[in-house]
Amino acid sequence: MPEEMATTSHAGVYATRVIERRELAKDVVLLRLDAPGLAEATRPGQYVMAIPPSGEAAATALAIYEAEGKRISLLFFIMGRRTQELSALGSGDCLSMLGPLGNGFDCSGDPRDAAIVAGGVGIASVLLCAQALLRARARVRLFYGARTRELVVDAQRFRDAGCDVIVTTDDGTLGMQGMVTDALALAPEPDMIFACGPTPMLRSVARIAADRRVRAQLALEETFGCGVGACWGCVVALAGDSMQAPNFPGAARGGSDIAYARICREGPVFWAHELRW
Amino acid sequence: MVRPSLAVRLGSLELAYPTLMGSGCYGSGAEYAPFADLSKVGAIVLKSVTRAPRLGNAMPRLVHTPAGMLNAIGLQNPGIDWYLERELHKYADRPCKIIGSVAGFSVDDYAFVCERLAARDEIAAVELNVSCPNVDREGATFGCDASLTASVVRAARATTTKPLIVKLSPNVTDITAVAREAEDAGADALGVINTVRGMAIDVERWKPRLANISGGLSGPAIRPIAVLAVYEVAQAVKIPIVGQGGIETVTDALEFFLAGAAAVSIGTANFTDPRIPQRIVEELETYLARRNVASLSEIVGKANVAFSTPHQYEGDEG
Repeated sequence: MPEEMATTSHAGVYATRVIERRELAKDVVLLRLDAPGLAEATRPGQYVMAIPPSGEAAATALAIYEAEGKRISLLFFIMGRRTQELSALGSGDCLSMLGPLGNGFDCSGDPRDAAIVAGGVGIASVLLCAQALLRARARVRLFYGARTRELVVDAQRFRDAGCDVIVTTDDGTLGMQGMVTDALALAPEPDMIFACGPTPMLRSVARIAADRRVRAQLALEETFGCGVGACWGCVVALAGDSMQAPNFPGAARGGSDIAYARICREGPVFWAHELRW
Repeated sequence: MVRPSLAVRLGSLELAYPTLMGSGCYGSGAEYAPFADLSKVGAIVLKSVTRAPRLGNAMPRLVHTPAGMLNAIGLQNPGIDWYLERELHKYADRPCKIIGSVAGFSVDDYAFVCERLAARDEIAAVELNVSCPNVDREGATFGCDASLTASVVRAARATTTKPLIVKLSPNVTDITAVAREAEDAGADALGVINTVRGMAIDVERWKPRLANISGGLSGPAIRPIAVLAVYEVAQAVKIPIVGQGGIETVTDALEFFLAGAAAVSIGTANFTDPRIPQRIVEELETYLARRNVASLSEIVGKANVAFSTPHQYEGDEG
């Protein structure tokens, strides 16, 4: 198991306050929050567990989209009852959350030419990563895939930050028609890939990265129970020698070199070449 | 008005607060230390440990369902040897009691693991998780059979004098029969109840939503099932009961105390808000003080109408 609390040294329960609610598209909501303490501690790729104000459902894992000064923002799609409840919050409302959680993207490798791949709501996990890479003077290309034009939200935010943005839509209503990974495969080779999106997209990114011998960091999406590493409900198979693999024998699959790691605790970002899915 | 006492005893186990953090829901406590005050917790029940290491089930292991969740983790754990050598010492400085939890696939497994676990100073008591299949008897679940449960308890009892808490399965016809056998076999306390078996199906893919097909249902969805089980078991046995099943508020906890539980266990509610256990003990204190009740133990089982009025069973399903 990882050293106790190694990844959660700044984590805590934070009482935040909504300062702005914007609907970026139908069923896509951006909440800007006053979150002193939490905002300063956030690293790219981390998330929060938002506690539903009604207390009537499990906390919801949401990526931290922006973190600036003492403010953060959460960008999420309304998918069910829990996100519905959060979407009903307005300016002045309180929202408690656990965070910042998880091991985020490693932006320290000094990539010169980074490709960020985001599918759907995965866009919420990659803005901080893009900003960190741009600050380190990397060229950043964002490959952004969505079902349709209306669901390509906030692409201008990435352009303004200095990213080259390549959009794809399933129906061709904006940008190139097809999968975002098709665009990635056709593009000149980056020296590092960062990705967040649905699992089929991430698998495809992993294949492209392997074919082109480029290292890729994938932020996995999964249903969480606790979100803090207690319940072991969100595991993924890793190579047994991965630095992120829990080092105890129960994590290893009998006889083979595989270990189950918790997506919420050891992840949610993993090296593509270490995943054994 | 003096502060009411919330201290409870489960056999020889003394707890400052009547709240246990359910096995598998609280890790070792370290996972929740940034979000909760562990000194306001009665005891943490550790994740169940088995004789051999276990990888656990394939994904998906967890599904959110109305008013609860289904889980089938599959007892992923490093096995007792590694656990004792490399893990347990880290838990020694917790500001609350630590209860070990044992799972097994044969009677001998339970005795083997219980003996080693209970021998350690970090462990104040041992929970027997009997909701496991018995490989010697075609996978019959120990906890679903009164005599099998008794065999497990007797075997574990022979290995230690530390308090044994037997966590009963609700997936039985008559939970009081299992409860009596567990008591006779030497249990010090009973956990009532473990999760209720359930299933969810993905109608797009035409497949079960859990890789394990079935899972254990927890959360408020099972609370009335648990309250009735506590009420009935309390009348069948003399040993204390740890009530558990969907407790999220002080009112929920009070239902269990009034039904006959000496303590309660909080599990899934930690996933909603880790501040819930502390909130419950604070509000419990207020509740008792307001009624001039000096000690929580005074209200245990007070909803039992059989104590004061003749109780006639007239059927409740028609």
